[in-house]
Parts: sequence; structure tokens; C-alpha cells
Amino acid sequence: MICVTQLSMSLAAGGRAVPILDNVSLEIPDKQMVAIVGPSGSGKSTLLGLMAGLDRPTAGSIVLDGQELTTMSESALARFRRAKIGYIFQSFHLIPTLTARENVAVPIELSGERGSDARAAELLDAVGLADRLDHYPVQLSGGEQQRVAVARAFACRPPFLFADEPTGNLDSTTGAQVINLLLTMHRDYGTTLVLVTHDRGLAGHMQRIVSLRDGRIESDQLTDSRT
Amino acid sequence: MNTFLITMAWRETRAAWRHFFYFLTCIAVGVGALVGVSLFSAHLGQAVTKEARGLLGGDLEIRLSRRISRDGHAYLTSLSDRDIAMTHVSELIGMAAHVHGIQSGGQPSQIVEIKAVEELYPFYGTLRLEPDRPLWELLQVQPAGCPGQPCWGAVVQESLLIRMGLAVGQPLTIGQATFLITGVVRTEPDRMANAFSLGPRVLIAQDGLRATDLVKLGSRVRERYLLKTTLTAKIEPLLYELRGRLAAESARVSTYRDAQPQLKQFLEQLTRYLGLIGLTALFVGGMGVATSVRAFLREKLATIAILKTVGADSPTIIKTYAAQALLLGLTGSVAGLALGIGLEQAVPWMLSSWFASDMLDQIGFTSGLSLHLLMPLGKGLALGLLTTMLFALWPLLAIRSVKPVALLRRDALTAETPPHSTDRTWRQNIARIDRTRLLTAGVIAIGLALLSMWQAEAWKIGLLFIGAFSLAIALLGGTAWVLITTLAAMAHPKQLAIRQAIGNIIRPGSQAISMTIAIGIGVMVIVTVALVERALLRQVGESRPADAPTFFFIDIQPDQADGMTRLLQDRSENHMPTLTPLVRSRLMAVNGQPIKKEATSEEEERAAQTADKDQRRQIWYLTREYALTFLDQLPKDNMIVKGEWWTPDQTFSKPMVSIEEEAAKALGLDIGQTLELDIQGTPLVAEVSSIRKVEWGNFSTNFYMILSPGALDEAPLTYVATVRVPPANEVSLQQAVVAEFPNVTAINIGDVLDSFARILDRLSLAIRAVALFCVLTGGLVMGAALAATRYRRLYESVVLKALGATRGLIIGSFAAEYLVLGIVGGLIGVGLASALSWALLRFIFELPWMLHLQVLFIGLGLTMCLTLIVGLLSTYRLLGQRPLAVLRHE
Repeated sequence: MICVTQLSMSLAAGGRAVPILDNVSLEIPDKQMVAIVGPSGSGKSTLLGLMAGLDRPTAGSIVLDGQELTTMSESALARFRRAKIGYIFQSFHLIPTLTARENVAVPIELSGERGSDARAAELLDAVGLADRLDHYPVQLSGGEQQRVAVARAFACRPPFLFADEPTGNLDSTTGAQVINLLLTMHRDYGTTLVLVTHDRGLAGHMQRIVSLRDGRIESDQLTDSRT
Repeated sequence: MNTFLITMAWRETRAAWRHFFYFLTCIAVGVGALVGVSLFSAHLGQAVTKEARGLLGGDLEIRLSRRISRDGHAYLTSLSDRDIAMTHVSELIGMAAHVHGIQSGGQPSQIVEIKAVEELYPFYGTLRLEPDRPLWELLQVQPAGCPGQPCWGAVVQESLLIRMGLAVGQPLTIGQATFLITGVVRTEPDRMANAFSLGPRVLIAQDGLRATDLVKLGSRVRERYLLKTTLTAKIEPLLYELRGRLAAESARVSTYRDAQPQLKQFLEQLTRYLGLIGLTALFVGGMGVATSVRAFLREKLATIAILKTVGADSPTIIKTYAAQALLLGLTGSVAGLALGIGLEQAVPWMLSSWFASDMLDQIGFTSGLSLHLLMPLGKGLALGLLTTMLFALWPLLAIRSVKPVALLRRDALTAETPPHSTDRTWRQNIARIDRTRLLTAGVIAIGLALLSMWQAEAWKIGLLFIGAFSLAIALLGGTAWVLITTLAAMAHPKQLAIRQAIGNIIRPGSQAISMTIAIGIGVMVIVTVALVERALLRQVGESRPADAPTFFFIDIQPDQADGMTRLLQDRSENHMPTLTPLVRSRLMAVNGQPIKKEATSEEEERAAQTADKDQRRQIWYLTREYALTFLDQLPKDNMIVKGEWWTPDQTFSKPMVSIEEEAAKALGLDIGQTLELDIQGTPLVAEVSSIRKVEWGNFSTNFYMILSPGALDEAPLTYVATVRVPPANEVSLQQAVVAEFPNVTAINIGDVLDSFARILDRLSLAIRAVALFCVLTGGLVMGAALAATRYRRLYESVVLKALGATRGLIIGSFAAEYLVLGIVGGLIGVGLASALSWALLRFIFELPWMLHLQVLFIGLGLTMCLTLIVGLLSTYRLLGQRPLAVLRHE
């Protein structure tokens, strides 16, 4: 369960505070698939980043799995992310100096689990990259890089997965592959999936769509999507 | 988790070796300098310890400055009953001359260091001779030797043959005797391994020495008795017995364990200071490490943010990159060890060309690698690793401020911080200080201080070093900041290239200050060495008064004084020669308190070893040999500071003495107090009537103690004469003196000064060679700093090119920038060098300081060349980049 209460965020720009999120409250039950939509600058990515514990809000509370994120120390938050959260970026953000397999292995190694190499290979196999294990990010196409990112996000079987426009930098065919992958993984691991997207088609695959405008929730509705 | 640190550190390194070129070379060069010095020092220490018996010539040595008494000799002879072997060695200086009628080119006469030995010499160590025959054989009377007379054999140093134009098989005279040169001595174990000598060695037999008739009452001769005990005997009881039994002889007794203390002390000090210069190079290299780490992390912001996103906390990431720095530090240090070993292998070769004497050969120096060297090598490795770690720590802290959210927002937005409040209390201010940073700064400061103490092997010197290093950095940094901000405020040049250059220097993050610090330190060290050397050379050479004597003639016997005065008057064109009577003595008592000269038990030995500087100074004054004279008139350049000089008609009921100021202070003597002297076996009590200040640098015969006329009437006097002659007459005068007075030794002041200057020059060369490493690391730090701004420079240069700038203009702007850096770094470096050399000369050498514009200008000019070359070498590759290719990637 994700529980966001009266969340506000403002950023300093040119010496004055610019409000990004304004008193947002939201509850997401376990295993739900939610799309956050809205125009550019509406605060979608900021909300997603805050829920994933990548940033701290100006005010309000975020509780994941019963734990309050806003009061955690930086190190505790990092350990929490390691255990509970997977995150997929629009521009992939793989570590350029590591191979595909090593990129996927990093979160497993951090958690101290054994057999990170085999598990990484298994995950890459699951996303269809069994023959790309030892390639560096620059040697992979955009779609391949995003699939590595998906494999990395699922590496520690996190209960929560956040994806920020996961198909934004991909062509429609590759985008569709990535969406299918996310849905399959969600089904296989029972992950709560929250994603930000401009893509109405992708949003249509989710069970619930939260629409933001000017930092406030404009609408919040369930879809008839089933997986 | 630990495996993650190591795997991740390795993964980050394997892709980026090229980035770490400067990191690795900075550490390698610093460690190389340190290891080179400490290997050299270890080898020397090893040689000195291994050859200790050889350096002394026996297990024990008894040393006297006059003939031993009959009782003393009887006692020494009786030692043979206890299986103790003894051999007698006499050392003195004298004049060697061509045998009349045999002139084969070269100088007609030459000052030599004579050593007369007996059959058993040497007990230890190797004497290398050519031909390879026993020394004793070569020194015997040579029946078929000299024309018309039998003569003794002599083995000489090759330099004597060269200077006098002689060869083995030819004769020469010393004193009243003729010798046939039977061989050449290559190395001599117990010759004080000293670069300084008055003349070449001549080895003769004791009987040969008697034949020369050089040793007369009061002659300057060092008598040494070398003892060899059985291997099992403990040596200390014998040492204390000898000291007790020979107390009346003014003899010094020492064992091989304290052989050559001056040599040891000199080598220790030399290598200690060379080591500290090496440490300076390593610390400057550390600055290069810090710069490289900072630049590397700046490129790694995204990776760090990703690692944080997937759950790595800051300590884990800091440890990862620290492990990487350690890995690189290890690689650099290992390369440094190789460099150090290589350098040290070259040392004997370099030294043999610097030192005329075969000093290293004489002490059996080898540069082979052995287990003993694990210590200096291990220390070099540890110093390299620890320095890397300490200098990498500070930039690594920046990892903490990288937020994972940076991956989401790449614009200028930063999370809002609470508005600044002007009325925060000091408590709140203190609470806001970053404790981790504070702690890290403390760890770094303490760590560097500990490393300095470790290297100096003395906490005081280590602390002094790190204090001076920090002060130099603060001064360099402060001055660089002032110069650069002034430049920014004042300079608005019209030319685009120069405007661009200055813009590059003053912009935030330009690293100009750290570059000037690194370069300035190297310049400071090397220019300081040059300035101090100049001052020392000036002191011995240029400040020689115009009327300083050309020659000192010593060991003139009383019956030769008149003849000598006449001869000198004839030859020296009206310059009145000065003949001063002289007798050598030792102190027996001060104010009736007998002086304990040497330890006669282990407790006393220990006490002597723990004496501090002042105590050692006092011991030096108490136990040294004093040359005494008596004079009517106060000598020139002497000034009475207390008491009164005697009047011309004064009658003395008891001997009076005028004592030199510093000696009086050290001995605790004041007017009216007494001292007792042992004058060649005869005691003399004198009362202090005045205290004098002496100008020691005036090249005249100066005395610590001058006695009242008549006080030394019965003493075995010799005379010393000083005379000034034009350079053209030097050889003929020396020749005439040697011909008429074969026992008189002529010391040419010019030769002595030349040989001193030569030693100074060689020492300074060794120091400068190590100091060069500081300059080298300074250049590398600059290279590292320029590499750190490579991308910005690349971008700017292609934008300028796209706007129509020529390659020439860009090169010009780069060159102007590097020259400005060179001027700033060079000016501060030579400025600080002037201050440092002033302090060294004023407080350590007690010499006046003078402005040496020439040295400073050369220093500045070379610095500018260095920055220009390093700068252009590290940026020339940017010039070839095509604008479109670069801009497309932006």
C-alpha cells in the first residue's frame, strides 16, 4: 500500500519558490497498476520521484509498506529503495561503464545476495536479451537498453515498481514490447506498478488513471482494464 | 557488500585507465623520489654497519694528537699477553716533492696526506692496491730503487701521480727521505670516508716516516693504535679499561660500533632532508590525485545517482570509489617502487662522476637488491597508498551531495532550502557545520602529520615539516587568489586571445589556484636550494677579504722561524709575513673541576648518547683540541667584549688567558676564573683576563685562547706563517719553501676553498636532483588540472572555431593562459623561496641574505617555460577537433 497525504513540493528557481505539487493525497493498494497522466509541468514526475523516495517533499507524508519515507535518513532511504523499489527512467540511465549483465547485477550485489551473475543472466533472458549479456549500453539500441533497465528494476523482486515514461524515448513497436514486458513482470511478481506517461494507449493498460494539472489531482478514476 | 565494493571499483577502473594517467604518474613520481632516497640511505647504512670494523681499522682505536708516553706504550704492548693484537698508524699532512734533478712535468711539489703503517695493518676491511701485492711488501726498502741511495717504498693515490707528473717506479721525496713509488692505492678501508681532503694519500712504513724526520715535538700528527681482540671477547670492559688507563694521555678510545660518527651523522642528516624533499614531491603529487579524483567524480555524477536510485547509500559509494583510489594508488606506488629502484641503481654511477673521491667504494657501497630493502620498499609503498587515500578523501565527500533525483531534473532547479535567517545564533551556526567534513579534515591533517613524522623519523622535524608545508600552501593559495582577483579586476585587454585566456583563469572552477600552488611549491624548493648554495659559496669565496693570505705554512720549527721569515719576505714582495707561535693542548679542568672526557662505564655512555644539542655543544668545547698562542697585541678582527687586554709593559705573576666569547659561554667561564690546560703532557693553569669576539671568516690564524706573553716559554712551540703572494708566484714560493724546509707543509687557501666549493656543488646537485621531482609533480598536477577542464575547453574552442576563430587564435589564448599561470606560480615560488632561504640562512647557517635577481629571473623564466610546455602538451589534441562533430554530441 502506498499512502500519500497532503504532499507539497516547491523548488527554488531564480531566487523564488515555484510550487510543483500542491497538497496532493493519494492511496494505492498493493498490486494495483496506476498511470499518472497530465500535461508537461503538471508535477507527474516529481510525484513519482517522491513516492519512490528519490527526493524529499517540502511538506506532507509518504508511507510505503507501512514506512514513512519523509523522516528516513538518507542511508535508510537507500536501503529501503534497495529492498522495496524498482525504478525505470525515460532515458534508461544504465551505467555506461558496465555491461548489460553487470548493470542488472548491481542491485543484487548491493543486497548481498549470492549468484548475482546467474540471476542477472536469467532476468536478461526473460526480457529477450540472452545474447546481449556482455554488451555495453552504447552497443545496445534504445529498446534493448530499456529492456535492460526493466530487468534491473525487477532484479530484487521489489514490491513496488515506478516507471517514468518508460516508452517515451522508444518507437511504437519497441514501446509495445516494453509495455508487454512490464505487464508480464507485474503479473509474474505481483508488483504494485505506478507509471507516468503521456501515452493514452499505455495508460489504458493500467487499472487506474490519476490525472494531474498544476500540481493538483484533477481526476482519479478506475479503468476496466484487467490483467 | 565488500565484494560489491571491490567488483564495482574494478569495473569503474578498467574502463577509465586513460583518465588516471596523471593520478598514476603523480603517485609514481612522488613514491619514486622517496624510495630512491630511502634505498640509497638503507644501502649506505648497511655498508657503514657492515664495514664498521673496516671503517675503524680494528675492534678498538686509541687516538692521540701527540706521541704516547712511555708508560702508555708499555701498557699497550702488554696487551699482547691477552691475545690482543695491536698496530700503530700515524697520520699527518706533509709535502711531497720531485727528487732533485728528476723533473717530469707536473707540479714540483704537492701537499699530501701521509699515513705510516706497520705490518699488521689493516686488521679489517680491504685495501685495494695495484699491483695486487701485500702492502707491507710494497712499503719495504727497495734495494734497486732510487738513484744512488736505498729508499723506502710508497703507495700513493693516483691523483698524486697525475698532479706531479709521476709514475709508478719513480722516486719522490718527503721531508728528509726519498721514496720509490711502488704502487697505487684504490680503496682504503679506514680513510675517513669524506669528500674533503687536503691532498692525495701517501702510504709509507713507520720506519719510512722516521726517515723523513717530519715528526718533531709539537708537530701536527694523529697517532692511532688499532686493536684486534679475539672474536669471543666482550669489547666494552676493554674499552672502559683503556679509557681509564690512558686518561693521562689525552687519548680518545672508541670501538668499531661508534666508528665514523660524523660520517654517519652526516649521511643520516643528508638522507633525512633529501627524504623530506621527496615527501614534498609525494604531497604535491597528492594534490594531483585530489584534482584527478574531483574531475573523475564530476564525470560520474549520473552513475552515482543511478547507484543511489538502485539502493546504494553514500557510504557504500564513497567506499567504492575509495577502493578504486586505493587500487590506483597501489598501481602508482608499485610503479614508483620500480622508478625508485631504477633511480637508486643509477646513484653510484651519478655519484662517481660527482665525487672526485671514491667515497662509495671506500665504504663498500653496493646497490644490489636484498631482503634488507623490504623495509624501505614497504615504507615507500605504504606512504604512497596513505598519501593517495588522504588526498582522495576530501573530493570523495562530494559523493554525499549527489541526489538520485538529479536523474529526473537536469535543469538548474534545486530543492528549496529554508530561507537564510540573519538572526541565527552562533549555536545554530555551529550546529550547521558539516561534522563529517570537519572530521575528515581532522583525519587528513593528522594523517599527513603522522606521515611526515614517519618519514622524518623524528616527531619534531616531522611536525616542523608539515607546518612549513601547510604554511607554504596557505601563502601560495592566498597570494595566488589575490593575484588572480586583481588580474580579473584590472585586466580588460582588447585582444580576444588574452581576454579569453584571463577568462579561463578567473572563472569559477578553473583550478588556477591549485595549479599555481602545485607549481609554486616545486619552484620554491628548487630556487631555495639554489639561493642557499649561492649564499654559502659567497661566504667562502666572494667574501674573502682582499688581504686574505694565499698560504698557511704549518709545522715550522722554532729554529726555522727566522729562516722562514727571511724567505717569505724575499718572495712575497714586501707583504710582511705573519709568524704565529702555536702549541696544541686539551682542557684538563675548568675552575678546578676536572673534565670527564669520555665515558668509562656503560651508564656514562648512555648519558652521553641522550645529551641534547646544548649539552653536545658543551661536550664539544670541553673535549676538543685547542691551538694556543701567546701574543702582545690583540689580533686584528678581534674585539674585547669583557675584561681588558694586557698592557705592553705588564708583568704577569701567573699566566693570563683571553678567551673567545662563545667558548667562554659554553665552558661557563668569566673574568677571574681559571682553566687548566694539558700542553703536550705539561699542565698549565691560566686565569681568564678578557673575553673576545672573533671574526672567524677573515682567513687569518684565529684562536679560541690566547695566553699572555711568556706563558708558553717552556712549551714545544711550532710556528704557523701566513703570507699573501700574487698568483703567479704561488708555485715558486711553495717550491722554495719545500726545498729549504722539507718538514713544513704549505696549505693553499685557494685550493682548500675550491675543494670546499666543489663539495658544496655536489651536495647541492644531489639536493637539486630530488627537488626536481617536486617540480615534475607540480607539472603533473597542472596536467591533471587541465585534463579536468578538457571538455569545457573542447566545447569552447569549437564554438570559437564555429564563430570563425583560427587555430592560431585558440593556441594563442591557451598559451597566454599558461604563461599567466607560470608568471603567477613562478612569482610566488621565487618570492617564497627568497623568504625561506632568508630564514634558513639567518637561523640555521647564520649568514647574511642577499637578493639574487639573476637566480630569481631564471627561476621565473623556467617556470613559464614549464607551464607553457605542460599546458600545450596536455591540450594540443583539442585543437584538431572539428566543430560539428563535437557540437552534435552536446
